[in-house]
Amino acid sequence: MPSTRRSSESIAGVAGLVVLALAATVTALFVPDAPVGPRFMGAGHETPQRGGTMVVWHETDIRGTDPQVRFDTVSGQSIKLLFECLLDYETDPIRLVPRLAREMPEVSEDGRTFRFRLREDLHFADSEVFEGGRGRELVAEDIRWSLEHMLHPDTGSPGVTFFELIDGVEAFREGEASHISGIDVVDRYTVDITLTRPDQTFLFSMAMPFAAPVPHEAYEHYGEEIGRNPVGTGAYLLERWEPGIFLDFVRNPNYFLAHEGQPYPDRIHFELNLDRRTATMRFRNGEVDHLHRTTPADYHELRSQPEWEPYSEESVKTIIWGVGMNTELPPFDNRHVRRAVAFAINRDRWRRARANRLALTGQPIPANLPSYDPDLPGQHRYDIDAAREEMRLAGFADGVPDPVTFWTGEGDTGRFYGELVQADLREIGIDIEIRQAAFPVFIQQTTTRRTTPMYLAGWSMDYPDASSFLDILFHTRSIRDENSQNKAFYSNPEVDRLLDEARVERDRQRRIRLYREASAIIVADAPWAFVWSDLHMEMWQPYVRNFRPHPVWDNFYRDVWLDLPRERVARAGGLPSSIPAFAPLGRLLR
Amino acid sequence: MRIPAGLFELLVRRIAAGVIIVFAATTFIFFLANGIGDPAVATLGPNANSERLAEFRHEHGLDRPLFEQYVDYITAAAQGDLGRSFRDEQSVTQLILWRLPRTVLLTGMALFFQLAFGLSLGILAALRRNTWFDTGFMGLAFLGISVPVFVSGPVVLHVFGFLMGWFPIGGYGVTPLDHFTHALLPALTMAVIGASTFARIMRSEMVDVLGADYVRTARAKGLNPSRVVLGHAARNALLPIVTLIGLRIPLLVAGAIITESIFNWPGMGRLVIEAIRALDVPLIMGVVVITAVAVQFGNILADVGVAMLDPRIRLGKS
Repeated sequence: MPSTRRSSESIAGVAGLVVLALAATVTALFVPDAPVGPRFMGAGHETPQRGGTMVVWHETDIRGTDPQVRFDTVSGQSIKLLFECLLDYETDPIRLVPRLAREMPEVSEDGRTFRFRLREDLHFADSEVFEGGRGRELVAEDIRWSLEHMLHPDTGSPGVTFFELIDGVEAFREGEASHISGIDVVDRYTVDITLTRPDQTFLFSMAMPFAAPVPHEAYEHYGEEIGRNPVGTGAYLLERWEPGIFLDFVRNPNYFLAHEGQPYPDRIHFELNLDRRTATMRFRNGEVDHLHRTTPADYHELRSQPEWEPYSEESVKTIIWGVGMNTELPPFDNRHVRRAVAFAINRDRWRRARANRLALTGQPIPANLPSYDPDLPGQHRYDIDAAREEMRLAGFADGVPDPVTFWTGEGDTGRFYGELVQADLREIGIDIEIRQAAFPVFIQQTTTRRTTPMYLAGWSMDYPDASSFLDILFHTRSIRDENSQNKAFYSNPEVDRLLDEARVERDRQRRIRLYREASAIIVADAPWAFVWSDLHMEMWQPYVRNFRPHPVWDNFYRDVWLDLPRERVARAGGLPSSIPAFAPLGRLLR
Repeated sequence: MRIPAGLFELLVRRIAAGVIIVFAATTFIFFLANGIGDPAVATLGPNANSERLAEFRHEHGLDRPLFEQYVDYITAAAQGDLGRSFRDEQSVTQLILWRLPRTVLLTGMALFFQLAFGLSLGILAALRRNTWFDTGFMGLAFLGISVPVFVSGPVVLHVFGFLMGWFPIGGYGVTPLDHFTHALLPALTMAVIGASTFARIMRSEMVDVLGADYVRTARAKGLNPSRVVLGHAARNALLPIVTLIGLRIPLLVAGAIITESIFNWPGMGRLVIEAIRALDVPLIMGVVVITAVAVQFGNILADVGVAMLDPRIRLGKS
């Protein structure tokens, strides 16, 4: 090749690289900083405004919208928009309130029968399943049909266990009766529900979506496709569902509070399958209106920005975590060893190690439930001398001779907790071997009798009441050889007695006292070392109003309103990514 | 293009082998997936009690002997019935049909970018062999191969999506135009590695071919240089590229697990991750079967393509 051509090519090549380098530098120089604080503020209205679209996100797809069979949290969030129950949970403090019922049910003298009176202005959503497409009136007969359909064995509802107390359920499920004898339609708007024995926890079940009234026409019309074709009485209708991508909800004109203008936003848009990192970036850019989970790094960055403070809340979740011990296996069949473990866990170190995202506790009932006892003497606190004393009482003054296996979940978090346990228990002479397992294996291991000596233990509520923790985790009734929910295989007749008494107690204060007594015994026996409840930070955009993290319903958007039009905040850096591509062009034109 | 002799025989042989391989893979994964753990626990979660778990196992036939379940599965699968997902209670075929077009859009765009950038850079580098252009771009290509998507993905998403606002921050969007703009960034990120590979292979092939006698003859005859390069040289240099493309066809279907995860792309890759996490055996099996078929299909296509491009490659038994 002639040398002149060669050199001109070299020059072209160099030029190309220089241009590339320049482009990179310019890009680097002009990359804006991440925004500090919210990008958008509300318009400043004081009263609820109608209109707008609330955009929220979820990590997975929802599984279905049939309230009778869906129990996972993400599906539950759509179900709460589409359906209402006779009762609902209110916050501060957590309590039951009437929703579709006109008032709280009357309880009979013997405490077994509850009389529910329906509001008389209730209609199902408009749907093709009804004659003429207009939603028909919801009446007492629908309550009976809905409960019977949910409790029928063919439905396969995971909710059955919460309603088994209704008189006649067993005969109905065995096929011996065509109706449930304990459900009695008194008149068009009144239904009596009778239990086999008095039980106050039953009312919590009636606020669970399993008990949401549904029209039989929809189940007859859609059959297996009912999970994608909800017909309910909720604030919203499902307008469109692109599997794995998004769901769109629009306002239900038949909603019983429609005459008060509720719900306020025109629509709610669920973005599905976003991870936390992506959702956080979108939230900070003002593309998502509520942030319910953050990565640890984002959590700290956002918490350090005072601009976000009025629009964020850290709340304790109704969940309990700790170190579970199998009370049937050595060395934890010895009460003193268990108590030693409870004293040896250096909880404050755990909290610091987990970036302050643990709300430390020392008892089985989460702090946001009324039965939590703030005055319970702290036996589950870090006290290494007390721990050593318990080890001496147990006859292990020089430590436990054989290593103990601690089972934990997979991934970094699982191993992390394993290492914390390992370090703490080394101080009292218990040598820990960490075993990590995938979630299904882990559950299987810990719920099989005489199998797992020690494990990372956690439980979240089915409904917001102490019975949803104590009865399930520590009552003798919950022990099974396989799939045992009492994973400590802990059995104490006195605890059983108190729990059974509390279930039927109608006086709220006395009930709370009974649960606190049971709690105190459990704490002293230490089947688990109770360590923490999760602390979540949630944030919302300044223009999202009337939103508070709900202790029972995750991401509960039914009552929000949007303060629109939102206004861009000048101080926040960066570019809007509302026009996805080619935003720089827009900037040049401005 | 001529149809080479023995093509039919090749096809029959390859398809028969393909069926056996798909069958073997299905069998292996069936016993593996069922051996990992208890799908009932994975599906119903920690709050399920033992009665509910037993009910679930019975409902889905999980309480029957594994071999019996296997025979049933294979029989149904052979008839095109991949069963219903445990988790979503949707037909597996339906779930895959929802995801497949999205994955094909993403991987298709990525493949297009790879070929467009890779081949043109490879040809240009070969023509300007040993110049700064050549070494510069081949160096960049080397860099491109070396940076995996799980490093480059989060960086480009943060810079070009979040900070600059040039691209949407992950996801799939609502309208078809949205889908395209949402696919741009992940497709380009994915394409960097592929383009670098194609560029390097194309360059070395072109360098060989450009020195060949027939190219020199063509040039000597005074043919238009661009025709010489594109018509004569490039066509022959494409042979290994065609094999490479064939090997990438399964990727079109199976999705790019890491890219889809980083960019929240709701395709096959994310589906299989979710299925494995939830121990959703029918769904895991469904994805495996589809992917195994795609691998076989890609290989056959590559063999046929090469045979048609290069008459010297002999078909049939040697």
